[in-house]
Amino acid sequence: MFTYVLRRLVQSFIVLLIVMLITFTLPYFEPNGILAPAYIVLGSHISPHAVHVWGVQNGMFHPYYVRFWNYLDQVFIHFNLGVSYKQNLSVWGIISLYVPRTIWLALSSLILTVVIAIPLGIYQASRRNSVVDYVATGTAFILYGIPAFLLGILMLQFFSFSWTHLPAQPPDGVAPWAMFTNPLGFILPVMTLTLLSIAFLSRFMRSAVLEVLVQDYVRTAKAKGCSSRQVLFRHSFRNALGPIVIILGLYLPGLLGGAVVIESVFNYSGLGIQLVTAATSLDVPTVLGITLLVSILTLLGNLLADIMLGIVNPRIRVEGSGR
Amino acid sequence: MSIYEEPAMPAGIVHTDVADLESGDVIIPLWRQRLQIFFHNKLAIVSVMFLLAIVGFCYVGPLLYHTNQTDQASALNAVWNGPPSMHHWLGTDSSGFDELGRIMYGGEYSLSLGILAGFITIVVGTIYGMVSGFIGGALDTILMRLLDALLSIPLLFLLITLIAVFTRSTVFLIVIIGVTGWFANARIIRGDALLIKKLEYSQAAYAMGASRIHIIRRHVFPNSMSNIVTVATFSVADAILFLSTLGFLGLGIPAPQTDWGTMMQNGAAQQPNGYWWEIYPTAFFFVLVIVAITYVGEALRDAFEVRLLER
Repeated sequence: MFTYVLRRLVQSFIVLLIVMLITFTLPYFEPNGILAPAYIVLGSHISPHAVHVWGVQNGMFHPYYVRFWNYLDQVFIHFNLGVSYKQNLSVWGIISLYVPRTIWLALSSLILTVVIAIPLGIYQASRRNSVVDYVATGTAFILYGIPAFLLGILMLQFFSFSWTHLPAQPPDGVAPWAMFTNPLGFILPVMTLTLLSIAFLSRFMRSAVLEVLVQDYVRTAKAKGCSSRQVLFRHSFRNALGPIVIILGLYLPGLLGGAVVIESVFNYSGLGIQLVTAATSLDVPTVLGITLLVSILTLLGNLLADIMLGIVNPRIRVEGSGR
Repeated sequence: MSIYEEPAMPAGIVHTDVADLESGDVIIPLWRQRLQIFFHNKLAIVSVMFLLAIVGFCYVGPLLYHTNQTDQASALNAVWNGPPSMHHWLGTDSSGFDELGRIMYGGEYSLSLGILAGFITIVVGTIYGMVSGFIGGALDTILMRLLDALLSIPLLFLLITLIAVFTRSTVFLIVIIGVTGWFANARIIRGDALLIKKLEYSQAAYAMGASRIHIIRRHVFPNSMSNIVTVATFSVADAILFLSTLGFLGLGIPAPQTDWGTMMQNGAAQQPNGYWWEIYPTAFFFVLVIVAITYVGEALRDAFEVRLLER
């Protein structure tokens, strides 16, 4: 198990380096090259001399590989993500302000999703083609067609403006405890994000359980006299957990991506909004920092999923360490 | 992430009629069996008809229902936020454009962009997946680690970064959505290529001295066609969704051109004023189109599902 985890860790680190290489290279493709942010930081009609000075100050004239090496050195040796071009803050400062807010949103909806979607999927699979199954499948289909922002807008319309008057916006304010000043404000954004994830996950759970239900060992279990409940929970559920764990790990970037939209619909300043504003104002260090962080989170999610998968399914564990 | 990553459903649909259609000794070609399964699915036919109707509505509609959609100056002289009337069937939006005509006009952009971007994702994804899966070895490892890296950046983040960096135009949006959308496709196609490479007929062809290109062209590609077609359908739906999300974030097609996402964004701004005609009709069309495309994809997957075939 230990070698398996170690192997996966090394792989994840290599992937992380590739991510950094990609995001670091992107600004080179800007029409104005890597000096483009100067026009945003210093203003659009500055002299070429000032642009040059800005470039020298920020080490823009080193060769590409030297700059990348410096960046790696800065991140991994000094744990320094740089200073934002646009805000008077270090990138690490921006991240530490906004990460708790995004994590809070994503995590609470993830927990709700798992609690609701997995039992729903099992129920649908065990009562296939029942009314509940049809209704849930149909709803999931329609929810899949609704983009996150549209669902958010509809939620606002029905639950904030007309039927009930829930707060339309979660509490704002960057202090960590400000999130808890008005918990009611989180109902709508969390509900929106949760509904979208349930639509996705419950369908997946349903087909995973269905896939298991036709296996031979389930037939054997039935033949030796297990009750259908025992078959469902002891045999099917455990074996269907594997795909679900993988999907949850893969779903993490999707959840954070979805959070960008939810944040902008409900005007909740989190990591997503920071990234959008940083990207549109060419604030390269902030974009690099946030992308790096999100990739780390994603890779950790995948790693966790793999480890959990090893726990759920011993065959994979043996296979992984054997190689 | 999308729905298509789930494993295929075990014998989900009833197909007794297909067996009935197969009479005696006549061997029905595989593609016709598949067509029969597809057309046995009533909802799939409805979806296809609906999509055709929408395409007609968007591309032929403007010929019958003449509106000004490009001249911003004269639109500003028209009524803003006007309710539905005989003159403007679905009212006007906040810039004075006719809403019904706008839905057609925006639909042209949403649909054509979605289809073109979806096409790019499937072409790039297929080539990447085929090469990686078929050649294997060190190249496969490198390509797959690169794919892991690309997949671990949330797609929307990547899109936003790219779009912020470059100047926006319609062609650019197609390319950028296409270029960022193929990662998951490549993985699925690679799985197929890996599987088919190991099957007897590929091995036999290899033993008879067939070149790699030949095996890919004659064996691997045709046999993974089912997955490619299915994945392509979902890719188009995803591309339209991504375009709409970009439009909502204000990164969509620049004015006076528009797409359904940008229209919904504009409508959402007017929604608290009660101008329902600016968002709900567009949203209705949008959601139904996505649902229909997704359903066609599901039906295609069922049609290609080997376990449902009578062989």
